[in-house]
Amino acid sequence: MKNTTTLSFILNSKEYESIEVPTCVTLGDLLREEFGLRGTNLSCNQGVCGSCTVIIDGNPIAACHTFAFEIDGKNIRTIEGLECADGSLDPVQESFAELSAFQCGYCTPGMIMLSRALLDQNPNPSEELIKEWISSNICRCTGYAMIIEAVQLAAKKIKESEA
Amino acid sequence: MTKLETLNILTSDTRRRDAYDKVTGRANYTTDVTLPNMLHAKVLRSPMGHARIIKIDSSSARKIMGVHAVLTREDIKKYSESELMPVYGYFIKDQPIVAMDKVLYKGDIVAAVAAESERIANKALATIRVDYEPLPAVTTINDALASNAPELFEEPPVGIVPAYGEGASGKLRSKKNICYTFNYETGSANAFNKCDHVFEDEFKFSRMHHLHLEPFITVASWSDDNKIDIWTACQNPFPLRKEISRIFKKPENDISVKVSYIGGGFGAKNNCKTEPIAVMLSRIARQPVRFCLTAEEGFYTNTQHAAILKIKTGVMNDGSLVARESEILLDSGAYSDGSPLVAEKAGYRIPGPYHYEHLKTTCHCVMTNTAPAGPFRGFGGTQTTWACESQIDMIAERLGISPYQMRMNNLLDKGQAFVPGESGMDSDIKLGLDLVAKEINYKNPPKEPNRGIGLSIGFKDGGGVNKPATARIKASTNGDIFLQCGTIEMGQGAQTALPNIVAEIMNTPTERVRLMPIDTNHTPFDQGTNASSSIAVMGQAVERAALDLKSKILNFSAEQLNCKTEEIKLDNWTIRKGNETIPIIPMIMGFYGGTGFEFSGEGFHKSPNSHLAPLEAPCVFWEYGWGAADVTVDIETGQIIVNKLVVSGDAGKAINLNVCRGQDEGAAIMGLGQSLFETMIYDNADLINGDPLSYRVPMARDLPASFISLTQEQGYGPGPFGSKGMGEGGILPVASAIANAVYNAVGVRLTELPMSPDRVNKALLEKQYNYCKQDTSRD
Repeated sequence: MKNTTTLSFILNSKEYESIEVPTCVTLGDLLREEFGLRGTNLSCNQGVCGSCTVIIDGNPIAACHTFAFEIDGKNIRTIEGLECADGSLDPVQESFAELSAFQCGYCTPGMIMLSRALLDQNPNPSEELIKEWISSNICRCTGYAMIIEAVQLAAKKIKESEA
Repeated sequence: MTKLETLNILTSDTRRRDAYDKVTGRANYTTDVTLPNMLHAKVLRSPMGHARIIKIDSSSARKIMGVHAVLTREDIKKYSESELMPVYGYFIKDQPIVAMDKVLYKGDIVAAVAAESERIANKALATIRVDYEPLPAVTTINDALASNAPELFEEPPVGIVPAYGEGASGKLRSKKNICYTFNYETGSANAFNKCDHVFEDEFKFSRMHHLHLEPFITVASWSDDNKIDIWTACQNPFPLRKEISRIFKKPENDISVKVSYIGGGFGAKNNCKTEPIAVMLSRIARQPVRFCLTAEEGFYTNTQHAAILKIKTGVMNDGSLVARESEILLDSGAYSDGSPLVAEKAGYRIPGPYHYEHLKTTCHCVMTNTAPAGPFRGFGGTQTTWACESQIDMIAERLGISPYQMRMNNLLDKGQAFVPGESGMDSDIKLGLDLVAKEINYKNPPKEPNRGIGLSIGFKDGGGVNKPATARIKASTNGDIFLQCGTIEMGQGAQTALPNIVAEIMNTPTERVRLMPIDTNHTPFDQGTNASSSIAVMGQAVERAALDLKSKILNFSAEQLNCKTEEIKLDNWTIRKGNETIPIIPMIMGFYGGTGFEFSGEGFHKSPNSHLAPLEAPCVFWEYGWGAADVTVDIETGQIIVNKLVVSGDAGKAINLNVCRGQDEGAAIMGLGQSLFETMIYDNADLINGDPLSYRVPMARDLPASFISLTQEQGYGPGPFGSKGMGEGGILPVASAIANAVYNAVGVRLTELPMSPDRVNKALLEKQYNYCKQDTSRD
């Protein structure tokens, strides 16, 4: 029985072809150990807390709960892929930084990826919709109110930059 | 305290300094540490709540390819007492590195393996055979105290009682299954005689797990020359180093503890957790070992204290509080961990911020066959505020006084000592109560059926007991400033606040000051990042170090310029003398030579010792959490809907307003979870919701429709510019404010947490039943 598989995918805008990975490896471990993308923080390993959220084909997905082989042919974005080429921050990152919508920071990359996916799908989310989306990730530090405000600010920033 | 007329730097820079690291994913946690040849550790845990270990067969595990170290009690026994002291704990050394004779709770560690991967380590653990002789398990406070209960520790473990001052005392093993008892007494018990009423009430407090998102993790390396390097998520690296030195019989200067960002602690990450096993396995394997727990294992590592609180309060007809006696029983779990310290604080804080003529308090640490309990945000104060602030409302109701007025009549005034020998209140508590009462519309409450409002004042002493902190600051020739101190950035904003204090004093842009990474080999001593002490204790050490550095630079410059120090000012690494601006760099190079120089400053803070203070040193500052809740009770389902939650803390002076707001709100939502649903559920020895999927914590959707936090800046704190700590206050008042609001709404008094729909329903049914009974008796 072969216990590796060959995958092709796009990771943070870069195309990878015929990458051999063990079938038992999760996406979280693949990103952290093989690609050195340590911004994706692993916590519950049950797909519950959302610390390891990445964006796959536009949807927020828990990397701890996704097998690496599931990303074949897909487009993956991690926190490292959110910054612009010139090093400037994404409006969501900028908003979290500006409003201090984080404390220990362990959930932050996941929260930011979740928020980015929300704003990609719905550039004008209501407060209720933001709450609903944010409720898929745990933040043990902030009490969420400042995170919700940061997502609202990010929506405003994105709109302004597009206007 | 330094008072500056205007704060230039602090008001112009509001961003957190860890923002870039944290929003880009660049922040390094211990989980990110990797070393060459690093092994991975996993442990085998007891499936039983209480059992004697008859035999452990680990021979198969040792033969598995890729396994480099196996640790059971047999391996521990190979070392002499001069090589290894395999137990640890705060006051009481009762927790073994791996179980020796008995296992004391389901989840207790029996064996450990270090292998080339976690997978191989788990495979090896699966081959270890352990024969147990089951023993009866006691898993609740009452079971553990029953006359026929088995004794958890047959032999008394080594322990100490710290020095106490006036009225306070401690005792080890005061009764069966009680590892520590704290007592405090002041005034005469005769005070009860003159009371018009004496009320006795009992409250139950639930137990939460910290669920910090960064798991417990340590990477340890025992080198061939017997030096120990430890990278760990630990809130108090210096006490940890002392403990590792004692366990492994190594000088402290052979041990280096390094701490990076901590991904949440909330108290759990104090003292030994994953460290001893990682070090021990590395000692055997002679390779670095990474020991990272799963989130499930976190539940078996440290928890909050469940508690039973019995309070007897004597009052006058007008509601004046006169005397209080209390007995608190803390569920300490299977090992003492931080329990004696929590007992000290729970026993001490039970009066709340009110005046009494007589107090007699006792707090017992009861050992049970459950996961060890330890420090948790609030540290005993959450338990006492729950009981104390619920009872204040109950007494007010019985006497027909408004709960607001009852508090106003009895609150300590600013400057008034908590108890004899203690420091005075350093906030206007009435002002804070008025603030939250106004915000919740206390005087004109919403008039809807089953809707009500409640108030509460959380209270604790802050800054730790007798806690020393040191800081060192050096400035390079160019004016780049290095701040060294042992405060860990774990979310509370120390990396922002402490350098900003230095920037303000040095009158230099904040980006010129950097807080240096923590390594016990170089960082000056600190007792730990806990007790809301970063600003009020370490902040004072940092402030003094900055003033020391500043005066050295000003003295040097004055000498070079042939003038008096008073004539010059420091301004962004130049000297201002009248209208003249003189650069410092050429002066330094001129005097010290072309390679330049580094000026350095030292700072130290500790509350002075005093035997008159019950805990041997007066409290550094007092931490209050004012709270108010507006709730509606769904009488069909028993669900409590929090319409509005208001919390307020007093920052004294906010060094960074966003950080202060974040502390209050995060703590309050933790308190909201505890109030309504979050709890560890034990079914005898089995923890039935010990994993993130079944353990419910607050999510964004649980936020009240209106959630208000008000940061006060009353200005009386002992820290720099009048600041004081506020990391814990927000959790304290939430449960009692909600319970008081529920009573106000539907007339039922809940005395047990969490206030889940089934408890509310049961209370409503009881009320209805009693009402019907009265009705029938009238017929």
